[in-house]
Amino acid sequence: MVHYLLLIISAVLVNNILLSRFLGVCPFLGVSRKIDTALGMGMAVVFVMTVSGGLTWAISYYILIPLKIDYLQTIAFILVIAALVQLVEMVIQKTSPVLYQALGIFLPLITTNCAVLGVAILNIQLEYSFLEALIFSLGSSVGFGLALVLFAGIRERIALSPVPKPFQGMAIALITAGLLSMSFFGFMGLVK
Amino acid sequence: MKIVQEFTKGFWKENPTFRLVLGMCPTLAVTTEAINGIGMGLATTFVLVCSNLLVSILRKFIPDKVRIACYVVIIAGFVIIVELTMQAYFYSLYKSLGLFIPLIVVNCIILGRAEAFASKNPVAESLADCLGMGLGFTVSITVLAIIREIIGNGTVFGIHVLGSSYLPFLLMIVPPGAFITLGFLLGFMNMAQKQGK
Amino acid sequence: MKDILRLVIVLTTICVVAAVSLAFVYDVTKEPIARSLRQEKLAAIKAVLPGYDNQPDKEVQTVMLGKDKRGRELKVDFYVATLNGKWVGTAFTSPAKGFGGELLVMLGVTPDDRLNKAKVLKHQETPGLGAKIEKEFIDQFSGKSLTVRELKVKKDGGDIDAITGATISSRAVCDAVNNGLELYNEHFKPPAKAVVQQE
Repeated sequence: MVHYLLLIISAVLVNNILLSRFLGVCPFLGVSRKIDTALGMGMAVVFVMTVSGGLTWAISYYILIPLKIDYLQTIAFILVIAALVQLVEMVIQKTSPVLYQALGIFLPLITTNCAVLGVAILNIQLEYSFLEALIFSLGSSVGFGLALVLFAGIRERIALSPVPKPFQGMAIALITAGLLSMSFFGFMGLVK
Repeated sequence: MKIVQEFTKGFWKENPTFRLVLGMCPTLAVTTEAINGIGMGLATTFVLVCSNLLVSILRKFIPDKVRIACYVVIIAGFVIIVELTMQAYFYSLYKSLGLFIPLIVVNCIILGRAEAFASKNPVAESLADCLGMGLGFTVSITVLAIIREIIGNGTVFGIHVLGSSYLPFLLMIVPPGAFITLGFLLGFMNMAQKQGK
Repeated sequence: MKDILRLVIVLTTICVVAAVSLAFVYDVTKEPIARSLRQEKLAAIKAVLPGYDNQPDKEVQTVMLGKDKRGRELKVDFYVATLNGKWVGTAFTSPAKGFGGELLVMLGVTPDDRLNKAKVLKHQETPGLGAKIEKEFIDQFSGKSLTVRELKVKKDGGDIDAITGATISSRAVCDAVNNGLELYNEHFKPPAKAVVQQE
């Protein structure tokens, strides 16, 4: 039990997927202007990443490795993720229009979110068991959401402050992300 | 003339890293050493050029509805080729780039160029476009990597340039340094462009 | 209907072509990949052992150590190195938990029960601080005797100089070395022909 708890803490805070592994930086910079959108994107990622983490694990261990075609991992995973995202989009659209309105526009963006594919590959590379893979995917995606929402909060304030002209927009956003990443650095060594 | 333009725009006017701010993940993650920057840049360029060449050739055959799926399969195929080749012949580089080689698949520059350019333009233009974009990307991340390596470690391509008395400024090598360096570079480039006008 | 048929045909063709060409590339690169993996292993073994003339990765003693908490098999491979048929050393790897995550050291032990050399193969320690374990720090272990338990950092009563500002990383390397040597003492069986020649 403690092992799984540590795995979550490590994925959310210590090895935060965004700020220390640099996965999913594009959406991080793209949809972090407002807290609302950041929250929507964060939730969509939590859902897709956890499901795809489990699914790709199963595909890797029950199809690719037994057939000795694990060199096709990249292509298989990206197709699974793309199909999954499409499926989720259709299901949500049919069953819950409210949820669709909240998450809908973010779903297609997730296919090219390298965090999703990155976590799927990490699950295999780190030789996690199925349960560990699920927990790691969940923890990573929560970490992604957390960083995204925190960053959006900071950016909302930056929009109101007098930033030197050449640094407005992306430049100051990146420097802020650096400072945020530095503060997450403080968690290092938390899980031994 | 148009082809030359398509080629050169990738270096400054539409530079994928500094202007379009695309493909940030590898840009930030692998730029701790200059050699990694070049390796990543060239690997990405190879995938970009090959896949977009194919997309451009096949643009009339690929039905609109499944185009993204087709592009993804084509891109992923070339990524695996790069992955296997690097593992076989450039093993140390393969190890230091690690996870980011398979992740070339989701580099937004590649799918972005396929969707925005190669699927609508003839082969020659597409080739010029993605060669320019790819090399522009390579140059940008190598510059970023050289800056980080010099300040963070006192070396360029592993060779000491600042003398042994130089105390490395470690922040540049660790993750926060990546964001901050790129942020300042972007800012300075904006400044330079202002003055040029 | 015709549309859908076309979708399916195009998509299938692309997938099939991709799969076939990938299988081809895989086939071509399989050998070189295996070779570079082996070369990496041999380079690590060579770094921690005195000169030898056999192929240590072909003369392996594998000891199963049961299963870990997660139910995965634990094992250790001892690579036996010989010079002119005489046993000159044994190399093996040993893991530990460092500050940033797993680290792995390769240890080379000579027949006179001394640690010839240790080398850090893999680590995720902080660059510039913990990462210094790769350099001078690890050399402190060269030539240490296996029988004397002195391989601790000075803070813990041993005689290894810890890296300033990276005590946890330093301790982790000591752990890896100590655990590894313990495994060696417990499980490694010196090759028979070497014993004969030593007499």
